[in-house]
Amino acid sequence: MPPSTTPEVVENDLQPFFVLHKASSRIKDRTPTAQTKLCKRNKLSSSPASEKQLRGSVTEECDHHLFQQPQIEAFDIVWTKIESTIKDVLRDLNASIFHDIQQWVLECFNATKLLGEPTISEATRSFPVLNNTTPGKLFTSLVSTRNIEYVDDILTFEELGNFLKSHGFHVAMLSSLEFSLKNGIADCLKALLREFLGGAIDSADISILASWYREQVNYNKPLVLIINDLERCCGSVLTDIILMLSEWVVKVPIIFIFGVATTVDIPRNILPSHVLERLCPSRFMLGTPAERMDAIVEAVLVKHCSTFSIGHKVAVFLRNYFINQDGTVTSIIRALKVACLLHFSMEPLSLLHGRTLAEDQEEGKSSLSPETMLKYIDELPLYARNQMVDHQTKMSMAEGLSDLVTKQKLWSTAVLCLYEAGKYSNVRLLDLFCEALSQDLYLLRSSDCHAGYEKDRGLFSTNDRCQQYPVMQCGGFIGQIVRKVRDLSTGVLYQLIESWGKITADISEVHEKLETLRASVRCEEGKSPRKSSKGISRRPASKISVNIDKNPRMLNSQAVAFLDCLVRNFLRPIEGMPFHEIFCFKNVEKLQLVLIGDPRRRIQVDLLEFHKILKCSCCSKSGNSLVPSRHDSSIMYSLAQEHGDLINIHDWFQSFRSIVLQHKNKRKQTAKQSPSLKKRKDMNGSADQNESSIQARFCRAVTELQITGLVRMPSKRRPDFAQRVAFGL
Amino acid sequence: MDKDKTPQLPVRMTRSSASSSNHIATAEVNSLEPLTINDLLVGGDPISLDDIISSFPGRSSQIREVVRLLGPLNSPMLPLFVYGGPSTGKTSIILQLFRHLNRPLVYSSCRTCHNQGILFESILNQLRLHRKNAANGYSTAKRCERPSDFVNFLREALTNVVNNLKKSENSISNKMTNGKIGNMIYLVFDNFQLVREWEKSSTILPLLFNLHDLLKMPEVGVIFISNTSPDTFYTNMGYVEPVPILFPEYTEGDIRQILLRNQLNQKLYSSFLDLVLHSFYRITNQVSQLSATLKPLYEKYCEPLNDKGKGVAHNSEMNLRLSTHIKPHISSALNEIFKISYISSTEVETQKEEKWKGKSSRSEQSKELGSLDFHMSTSAKYLLISAFLASRNPATLDASLFDSKGGFDNRKRKRKPSEKALERKETLEEEMLMKGPGTFPLERLLAIFQCLVSVAEDPSDNEEQNNNASGVQSGSGDLMSDILLQLSSLCNANFIFKGRSCPIEGSTRYRSTISEDLALKVARSLKFPLSKYLYRS
Repeated sequence: MPPSTTPEVVENDLQPFFVLHKASSRIKDRTPTAQTKLCKRNKLSSSPASEKQLRGSVTEECDHHLFQQPQIEAFDIVWTKIESTIKDVLRDLNASIFHDIQQWVLECFNATKLLGEPTISEATRSFPVLNNTTPGKLFTSLVSTRNIEYVDDILTFEELGNFLKSHGFHVAMLSSLEFSLKNGIADCLKALLREFLGGAIDSADISILASWYREQVNYNKPLVLIINDLERCCGSVLTDIILMLSEWVVKVPIIFIFGVATTVDIPRNILPSHVLERLCPSRFMLGTPAERMDAIVEAVLVKHCSTFSIGHKVAVFLRNYFINQDGTVTSIIRALKVACLLHFSMEPLSLLHGRTLAEDQEEGKSSLSPETMLKYIDELPLYARNQMVDHQTKMSMAEGLSDLVTKQKLWSTAVLCLYEAGKYSNVRLLDLFCEALSQDLYLLRSSDCHAGYEKDRGLFSTNDRCQQYPVMQCGGFIGQIVRKVRDLSTGVLYQLIESWGKITADISEVHEKLETLRASVRCEEGKSPRKSSKGISRRPASKISVNIDKNPRMLNSQAVAFLDCLVRNFLRPIEGMPFHEIFCFKNVEKLQLVLIGDPRRRIQVDLLEFHKILKCSCCSKSGNSLVPSRHDSSIMYSLAQEHGDLINIHDWFQSFRSIVLQHKNKRKQTAKQSPSLKKRKDMNGSADQNESSIQARFCRAVTELQITGLVRMPSKRRPDFAQRVAFGL
Repeated sequence: MDKDKTPQLPVRMTRSSASSSNHIATAEVNSLEPLTINDLLVGGDPISLDDIISSFPGRSSQIREVVRLLGPLNSPMLPLFVYGGPSTGKTSIILQLFRHLNRPLVYSSCRTCHNQGILFESILNQLRLHRKNAANGYSTAKRCERPSDFVNFLREALTNVVNNLKKSENSISNKMTNGKIGNMIYLVFDNFQLVREWEKSSTILPLLFNLHDLLKMPEVGVIFISNTSPDTFYTNMGYVEPVPILFPEYTEGDIRQILLRNQLNQKLYSSFLDLVLHSFYRITNQVSQLSATLKPLYEKYCEPLNDKGKGVAHNSEMNLRLSTHIKPHISSALNEIFKISYISSTEVETQKEEKWKGKSSRSEQSKELGSLDFHMSTSAKYLLISAFLASRNPATLDASLFDSKGGFDNRKRKRKPSEKALERKETLEEEMLMKGPGTFPLERLLAIFQCLVSVAEDPSDNEEQNNNASGVQSGSGDLMSDILLQLSSLCNANFIFKGRSCPIEGSTRYRSTISEDLALKVARSLKFPLSKYLYRS
């Protein structure tokens, strides 16, 4: 919807349910999504057009190429690579916490064994073990997943289960579905037994578990019960199962692992106190989604940026989507996948890239010389090759491509170095990544660069040497990071430089620079400040005045100089380079369309403009006019547009009837042309059956509209009126 | 590690009354061995009545009463109904008495047997000496769902057992003098109060109460153990009322003795109890709760001592030192037990955890108290705040709070309340307090949400744009999409409670259940001025 329609609509209309005004400043240029807009009536004509245009272009392009075999292959290659990277990253992230949990389980198991080891007959009979004065305590760990959405953690807990299984524990995974009030404890126990025993057990009797546990093969291993979403469990069923298991804990040393999405207070909220005292809780924290996100971005988009990369706008969109909408890593991975698919389906040259990657995998080395590139280009299918006119272009393209790849490598090194430094000022890689991709900021920086030098030298040279680097002046996260580096203490700075050393190890251009910095560090350690100053003054990037006495400050400024050099020379966003289209996905609109689908809007558009989909002959002629051959619910919804937020059922029915009957009358009296809203009382009673069938159609259409959420049925208060729920698009 | 250790401890299998040294090498052999009648005994080493009485302080009269009602060997008895609050020693005393008397019993806890079918099968399995194992697919001896079947099967099984008992008594009694197990068999139903909540409780309760009469077997004794008094069960169904035995709550002195029972350093512990027991006893008199809370406290108490209080000669001076050490912890522990004793243990555990995990817990330490430690998307946060406001603020004030200017100025203008208005406000406030968070329809939530997003977002937007030089922040207008999805995830997290549809209006109403604390945390993470929107008279 074009923003221009918004203001007048807001001014003119009654607000439907609660008369609350929006702040006037709100009317900004943003893309409003329709479903939440409470503005009522809308100019339908303008918005669908643009919508349609966009969609049309998408389908056009996609249809053209989507199912081309080589493209699918290329996508498969790239995506499997990305996916396996992501998997590895996530596994590594969780490794330490899994290990902790495993240790904890062992400790708990040993602790329960101290309570007494019942003999086999003691363990399998029904009454509690004597000599055990205190009621059994169930060791419980609350694993904070730290994300209100639990989608990501289904996989995490599955992996945890497998990890524990691989250590010889018995693991049962239950979900909140088993803890429903409807089926009660029996269902839950059955699921528990099924998980542990593996077979279909029809009886929900915990004593089975005890007998099973005493079998030779099963005995003396901890039993771990993982429930991955505690919030959704029904409190009373959980209460029952905890009390029951706590009675058996000496015989069946079961250990709970609860996944907690929000706060660890959850058990307090859903369980009564006499149950809580049976639990002996500890807490584990998984990484935050933001940490996971950063790890994924680092591995996929920065370290392997030549595999697949995204443009600035796409990055910003993904970031906002992550922060504002749906903070799950799962959805971001899905978004990446969609982006990847769109990229390969839309960009013919991307094939080239798929080929290179495939070759890479086979040979195990990076073969991105211009010659090989040229070879790939020659092998391109015809339609892609058409874009390249002659050999000259091909040559230049091949060179450009391999150049692009090296530049990208440098770029990713620069980003990684900045991120390493940014860890001290809590900068998220995702933010930094967006900033590093921004072409605008890059231009801004490079223009600042010249202006900054002239001005700052005069002003600050005596005061603070660091100020002379233009990178200090640039805003945003990079500036923040650099300022932090300036203020770091020496010890931390050493660490930072060491980690930089690791990152830049195989990038000679950057590594050289770092080596000089390190050399000066070593000199510093060797208590010879004079030398160090010499070492640096050789560098062109840092023309520092020679009188240096404060060593720590000196070191900091050198580090800043290093960063400055990185940012200026290497932090070139991919979008500014030639041939970036081959690796880089930039089309944010399409991604947006795919991710933030707008079902309600779609329903409305489709109801009003059905003929674009049906493409029937009758409607294409008549355009938007109401023809009886239209679908009933479509007619009804078009009619409803003429009403306010309350629709008089009778009027609605009458106009519906008139339109439907218009068809028949047309045969007799062709004069009737347009649909009239007047009540037509002169029905010549064509048939009673006809009348009732119209009523039935009317009812069905209203129900359909209600199901799609566009209309609400008449309430008891106002039996004659249906309520419109959706207004505008 | 532990898993490498083979589990082969010599397992004692037959737990006959006479011979306790019946060791057999492996459990493998044992698990195949059929159960005998001896497995219905509690087993363990013989215990004298005096030992039982001394190990259950303050229970001597009840113990003697139960023993009297159980009667001597082979004497029929009336059904018993043992009741008393939780952790007053009912089950333990009954089991210890049977250990002392060495008579066979069939014990079933109505907690473990959570419906009548399982209860029936559990009883029958025990009587038929059936053992579930992998060989028989962990199946029960006899499937039994219907009460009438149960009575028949039970009678059959009981006669069988009783005949066996009689036979064995005749054959063994001359050999063993103290090994008499008699020919009585006792059915014990623990946690009997739970039966009332079962689906078919109206049929199963009379059946069980009537069991004694139905069976008409003098050799069967029935004992019910329950948390609640018999009055909560009887429904005048015309059966013999079981003999009630009340286990009253422990007195402070009793509890003191119970807590002292297993302590290594009696003197030290008793001085510890002097300090803390009285205040804790006022809050709870359940032994289990008390021992759970006092345990960490005692560890703290012993901290100043070098050897953790195991063998310290102890004097008044040290006593003073220890008591000053423990004083500050008592009140906090008291508060915690008052809320839930659980949280104290969490914290203790968490600290332990952190110590033990050491460096790996970086994020925990850096976590400040006031911040939110889980991730929520921005739109979910706004939605949560709107829900919170919708629950707290009266709906009539919405229009004034969320006017076009964002609500601040207008409110100030309104602040000239007359006395009457003040009074009314007070009653309103009181009412709100009593009612708790209010409910609201979805439309109101969405309206407030939209206002909040539009008002609160713009200043921050500008700010960020200044900060970042138009780089990163843009397009936050997307906050509005997929709200219903966010709403459902908030509902799943128990933050918003979705009620049933209101009978008058016919639409679903929601209620926000979060505490103000959490709402403030969320608001802080958004830099949202929540207090300005919160209605407080």
